[in-house]
Amino acid sequence: MKKTIDVMKEKRKVSESVRNSIKSFNKIKKLILKSLESEEKTIPELAKETNTDIETITYHLMTLLKYGFIEAGDMDDDDEYYYYKLKNKK
Amino acid sequence: MTKSNEYDALVIGGGIAGEEAALNLANIGYKILLVEKDLSIGGKMIHLSKVFPTLDCGACITTPKVSETARHPNISIFTNSVIEDIEKHYENDFSAKLVEKPRYVTEDCTGCQICEEKCPVVVEDQYQWDLVGRKAIYVPFSIANPRIAAIDIENCSLCGLCEKVCPAFAIDFSQEEKIHEVNFKTVIIATGFELFDPTLIPRYGYGRFKNVVTAMQMERQLVPTRPFNNVLRPKDGKMPDNIAYVLCTGSRDETVGTPICSQVCCMYSTKQAQLLMGALPMADVTIYYLHIRAFGKGFCEFYQQAQGMGVEFIKGKVGLIKEKENGNLLLRYEDIQEGIVKEAEHDLVVLSVGILPNTDFSTMFKNVKIEQDDFEYVNQVDELSSPAKTNINGVFVAGTSSGPMDIPDSILSAGAASAEAAGYLKGGKK
Repeated sequence: MKKTIDVMKEKRKVSESVRNSIKSFNKIKKLILKSLESEEKTIPELAKETNTDIETITYHLMTLLKYGFIEAGDMDDDDEYYYYKLKNKK
Repeated sequence: MTKSNEYDALVIGGGIAGEEAALNLANIGYKILLVEKDLSIGGKMIHLSKVFPTLDCGACITTPKVSETARHPNISIFTNSVIEDIEKHYENDFSAKLVEKPRYVTEDCTGCQICEEKCPVVVEDQYQWDLVGRKAIYVPFSIANPRIAAIDIENCSLCGLCEKVCPAFAIDFSQEEKIHEVNFKTVIIATGFELFDPTLIPRYGYGRFKNVVTAMQMERQLVPTRPFNNVLRPKDGKMPDNIAYVLCTGSRDETVGTPICSQVCCMYSTKQAQLLMGALPMADVTIYYLHIRAFGKGFCEFYQQAQGMGVEFIKGKVGLIKEKENGNLLLRYEDIQEGIVKEAEHDLVVLSVGILPNTDFSTMFKNVKIEQDDFEYVNQVDELSSPAKTNINGVFVAGTSSGPMDIPDSILSAGAASAEAAGYLKGGKK
C-alpha cells in the first residue's frame, strides 16, 4: 500500500536547516549519552567534558530528559546543580 | 458535536473568554461555531500554574471548561483554523470563510505519542516557551484538547517513520487546507492577547542572556509538566537562589509603544514569587516595581501575604541588565525612594512582560470594518452601558480582545458578550 508520506515527498523537499538541525541534535545527544555512560554528571561537568557550550548542553539535556533518555539524580554538595544519569542505569 | 454550515453564533477564539461565551449560548440552545487558530482550545490560561489571588490550580479550573466546551452537542469546534472574509448581509445574517489547516494527523489519533519517540527532528517547543525541544510530530501538551498529534510540516524531515509506527493509522500526509463557507447570525470576538516581546528592550538582554526569562517561561517552570526537572536556570541548569522580577516590561512605556498598564503583571509576579518561595525555600525573591497595582478583590491582601513571606519589594526602575561570566545578572536601577542609582546582583531575572492586543480580528472582516481603539484593541462603542458592543451591530467582543484584564474579568466580559449576543439573536437589539 502506498504511504501518504510519498504524496508529501512529491510536493516538498526537506530544507537544509532541518537536515542540519537533525545532525546537530544527534551529535550532541551522542556526546551527552556517551559521557553519562561512565558516571552521573552535572551540566557544567558535561559541558566541560564534551567541550560544548553550556547553554547547548542544558537545552539538549533537558530535551533528552523530557523524552526519557536520562533522569535527574541528587544535587551536588553545594546544592546548586543536579546530577543527571542514563535512565535505568543504577 | 454537530458539523453543518449554518450556525447561530460564530465565536472566534477558544481561550477562556471564547469558551465561556460559547457555553453560555450553547446552554440556551444556540448552535455555536468555535474557531481556534491554535492546535488546542484553552488559550493561555491552560498553560498557567496557579491563579491569583486564590492560588487555585489553573489547569483544574480551565480543563473542566475545556472538556465541557469540547463535548457540548451545540458547539462545533475547529482548531488549527482561521476565519476570513466575514461579511454582514443583513441583521442576523453573516457569512465567512473558515480555513481549516492540515494537521496531517486524523481524529483517529489516540495521543499515544509513539510517533514522537521515533521522530528524529527536535525543534524548540513553543508550548514550553522554547525552554526545551519538541519533535516535528507532537501532541501539543499533555492536557491539550483535542489530544491529537500534529505535524510541523516546515520542520518535518519527511522520513515517514511516524506513518510506519502509528498503531491507529492516523497519519495522513495527503491532507490539504480545506475552506468551508459558513453562515451565522452573530459574532463574538474573543481572540485574546499577545505578550510583549522583550527583545524590543535590548538593554534588558532578553535573548542574549539565557538567565533573563519572561514571566511565561517562569510560569511553565512552576507547573507540574515543567520543561526542566525543577525550577532551574536555562543557561546552565543551576538552581537559582536570588531571583529578581522586573515589572512593567513593555507596559506603561511609551518608548516601546505600550503606554497602558497591563493590569495583571503586578499580581502574576506576586503570585510567582510566592510559588517560588514554596518551590525553592532558600531562595530570595526581589520585585522591582514602579507602583504596585493591587486593585482587585483580595489583591492587596495577596500583596501583603507575599511581603509577609519575605518577598522583597523595591520601588525601582531597572535601566540596564548585564551578564557576568558565571551567568549571574547585574541590575542597574534607580532606587526611587532614595533617589539614587544602585546595582544589585541576581542569578535569575524574570521580566514581567505586559499584554498586547492580538489584532488578528482587524483583518477578518470583508464588507464592514471593525473599529479599533487608540491602543488597537476592539473598540467598545458603549463601554459603560453595553461593554460588549462593537461598531458593527451583531458583532460583540469578549475578554482581552477589548483590553487587558485578568481571568475573572475575562469570564465576566464573556458573560456580557453572550448576553448581548443572545439578545441580538432574539431580535432585541437592532
